[in-house]
Amino acid sequence: MLRLSLRRRRQLLPYLFLGPGLLWLLIFFLVPLANQAYVSLQTGDPEAGYVFGWHFSTYTTALSDYHTQILRSFGYAGVATVLDLVIAFPLAYFIAFKAGRFKNVMLLLIVMPFFTSYLVRTVSWQLILSDNGWVVGRLRDVGLLSSGGRLLATRTAVIAGITYNFLPFMALPLYVSLEKVDRRLVEAATDLYASRTTAFRKVTLPLALPGVFAGSLLTFIPAVGDYINAALLGTPNQYMIGNVIQAKFLNILDYPTAAALSFLLMGVILLAILLYARALGTRSLTEAAAA
Amino acid sequence: MTWDRLRTWLLGGWSGLALAYLFIPIVIVVLFSFNNNKGRFNFTWQGFTFKHWAHPFADPDLALALKNSLAIAAISTVIATALGTFMALALVRYGFRGRGAADLFVFLPLATPEVVLGAALLALFLTMNVSTGFVTIVIAHVMFNISYVVVTVKARLEGMDPHVEEAAQDLGAGVWSTFARVTLPMIAPGVAAAALLAAALSVDDYVITSFNAGQTITFPLFIYGATRQGVPPEVNVLASGLLFVVLILMGLNVLLQRRRARRDHDAVEGLPIAVGAPATG
Amino acid sequence: MKPYDDIDRVVERMLDGHEHSRRQFVRVLAGAGLSVSSAGLLAACGGVKGESSGKKASASVRHPKVPIGQWTFSNWPLYIDKSVLKAFDKKYGGHVQYIEDINDNFEFFGKVRQQLSRSQPIGRDIVVLTDYMASRWVRDGFVTAIDQANVPNMVNLVDNLKNIAWDPKRNYSLPWQSGAIGIGYDRRLTGRKLHSIKDLFDPKFKGRVSFLSEPYDSAGMVMLMQGVDSTKASLTQIMNAIDRIEVAQKAGQIRRFTGNDYTTDLAKGNLWAAMAYSGDLVQLKADNPHLEFVYPDEGSMQFTDNMMMPAKAAHPYAAETMMNYVYDPQVAAKIADYVNYISPVKGIKDILLKSDPKVASNPLIFPPANIVARLHPYPSLSPADERSMEDRMAQVVGG
Repeated sequence: MLRLSLRRRRQLLPYLFLGPGLLWLLIFFLVPLANQAYVSLQTGDPEAGYVFGWHFSTYTTALSDYHTQILRSFGYAGVATVLDLVIAFPLAYFIAFKAGRFKNVMLLLIVMPFFTSYLVRTVSWQLILSDNGWVVGRLRDVGLLSSGGRLLATRTAVIAGITYNFLPFMALPLYVSLEKVDRRLVEAATDLYASRTTAFRKVTLPLALPGVFAGSLLTFIPAVGDYINAALLGTPNQYMIGNVIQAKFLNILDYPTAAALSFLLMGVILLAILLYARALGTRSLTEAAAA
Repeated sequence: MTWDRLRTWLLGGWSGLALAYLFIPIVIVVLFSFNNNKGRFNFTWQGFTFKHWAHPFADPDLALALKNSLAIAAISTVIATALGTFMALALVRYGFRGRGAADLFVFLPLATPEVVLGAALLALFLTMNVSTGFVTIVIAHVMFNISYVVVTVKARLEGMDPHVEEAAQDLGAGVWSTFARVTLPMIAPGVAAAALLAAALSVDDYVITSFNAGQTITFPLFIYGATRQGVPPEVNVLASGLLFVVLILMGLNVLLQRRRARRDHDAVEGLPIAVGAPATG
Repeated sequence: MKPYDDIDRVVERMLDGHEHSRRQFVRVLAGAGLSVSSAGLLAACGGVKGESSGKKASASVRHPKVPIGQWTFSNWPLYIDKSVLKAFDKKYGGHVQYIEDINDNFEFFGKVRQQLSRSQPIGRDIVVLTDYMASRWVRDGFVTAIDQANVPNMVNLVDNLKNIAWDPKRNYSLPWQSGAIGIGYDRRLTGRKLHSIKDLFDPKFKGRVSFLSEPYDSAGMVMLMQGVDSTKASLTQIMNAIDRIEVAQKAGQIRRFTGNDYTTDLAKGNLWAAMAYSGDLVQLKADNPHLEFVYPDEGSMQFTDNMMMPAKAAHPYAAETMMNYVYDPQVAAKIADYVNYISPVKGIKDILLKSDPKVASNPLIFPPANIVARLHPYPSLSPADERSMEDRMAQVVGG
């Protein structure tokens, strides 16, 4: 064991902590990804082979061909994320502040549906929402649906499916950051004559923002690339960019376009993350809170 | 006072509804495991029966698939949670060159479509002459789970008072002691939640696994084909069974929690510093 | 049909046995992998060289008898009576790992393509692929030749499938099941009997109709409707058919494009009429007697799914033994009784007349001669044409 000074050890510490995980990602994510970048700049077909040639036109063609699906994906994922935030926030708040010793039970309940398969859950929704089923029947009675209306194979169904499947990704990070809010800060605020709402707005909410940030990203980002909900619950008019990439990759074997689309997607998502982080001002908030 | 009670009830009601919403399709899954279907398909209710529950493991390949899925989930969750937690600590607690870039880099696996992720990883394994199977599945699962763990644990760490750890170290605690007895308990809920997410994602993964599985069969791989045409009863049974097992484990955990909470409560009372105590009910 | 036997103890022993007989090789990455030069690594990934290496698998081959251990059989879902697998294991020893992971020919190919083009094993000893994909694998050398001495029951193959353009002596493939594409519909919901492909375009059924997502199937049927002989179709005619489908999709006529998964929607009444596979309807009718299957007047596309051994398959003898086993008329009858598709094995109708006369007299499983005359096999397209077709169809399907 090297005799390093405490200061030196502290300097090395972040690299030690970061190292193993980063190495794993570098080998098993970055290297394959770099290869995909290489592929995206190739042209060719599966028979004759692919040739590398800085073909940036693949990107521009992909963008012009599929901008509808890209925008649609962002739209659906965005709506689903907002819905998830609305549904999950009170739930996470309740678990963090009011659930007491049932905390872990409720957390586990949120995640449990995941232990059946994604496909099984979505097929179950197909059964529940079928045109002649109970749910659609009652919606028609109430007038929310026209008499020939349906829920399946619509945009509503796809967004509902995405919302449903990504709810735990929003709820858990929200809980995690709400749970650490010190109750006494809130009490202090109310002692200083703030109303409960003001206390919530000025104390709890800012402290919970890291959770909102994390939850929205963990929901939004994978949702944009989702394909199964659109495939099972929608029509071709609802198909998302994930479906396009899937088809290009598996059915048409057009690897350059599939790779190009993936990078376009990633680029836009990264941009969105940066803007979102700036909007929430997360970093400056946490610095202030820690001071 | 009554305002508070009302709010608690409203919140509780909303939470109940949200949980019910999460479980609606699960109820269908459990229900249809008892369906007395005559034909091969299982989407019309035709009466109650226990016949599918009589021999849930009659198909050895299905049982093996389930076993594989659980084993892979356990192993990959442990590794991913460990790696990701440390990464999160590094990214939040310490300033260092390249932190911003590393922060953003962690989001990239989330943003990559699964098809591309799975196939690209397979290309790597093939080039390195690594034969695909159990180990490569674990590697793949750890890879995509690290990001989820990092983001979740970060949500816990951000805004937490770092002075507590500094104080502990000033009081003579070594790096490891500080970590094990101060930091870890503080972030434990974040780590547990992250582990839960990682396990669920691993058990459920289809696309990336299908590329990197070789001859190993996991539960999603096994049932994907048949389920496209309507969930076969055996799958309902196993899925329900898994849920019941988890429920039982949960019950045991609640009992354990109660015992531990009593012990920790006594320990915490003795500390001179007010550690950011989790909000108690 | 009760597909499972009561052999829990044997199962338990098998469950444990699996772990020991599995061998996993993982080379240490640090040494071998990371020292590979980056250029070499990048060039080798992603399949830079073309896949049709031009070499065909040798036509005459010997696979000597070896003990049958653990081997793998990949197939489409719901395509076998599982008791047949159990009986096979009992008779020949070993254990067949049966995986239903083929849901779409192109999707499956896309998953194993990288291994195939590098001449590496794909971990399967039998795969079952439809004609157009099977012919591609044979052409590109992705299959192991069959040692026909191990498959004497091959003589039971029905005459019209004994020769096929892409495998004249059946050296590489053996049909598993055939089927026809027609229209499955709910008589109550449509209000009338359907008999023509044009019925799928009836505006009265707007939003209640589904087509198959595979253009070989959909475009093939539409071409028959347009009076074109699908077997000899040109790319232009195919594209015209796809255009016609796109018009219908944009008008909202077509609710979904499906693989086999129209079954749920049809059973639940979400779909009134679906372009469907004959075998599925036999089973669906058991649950819902209002469902009908019709071979359209204009004709039907006929598909055959073929058993093949992928290149570098580890257990060819086991695979051939299975192929031989399922060509035994008794076994073939059992499979046909469960699967309800058109069996390629001669002589099973007589067996079924005694054991399950309902199946024997079912025109979906044993189509009469006038129907058989209207069945059209798929056209054979060049890979480039096939890709254009798939690409165009993907645009319509939304992918």
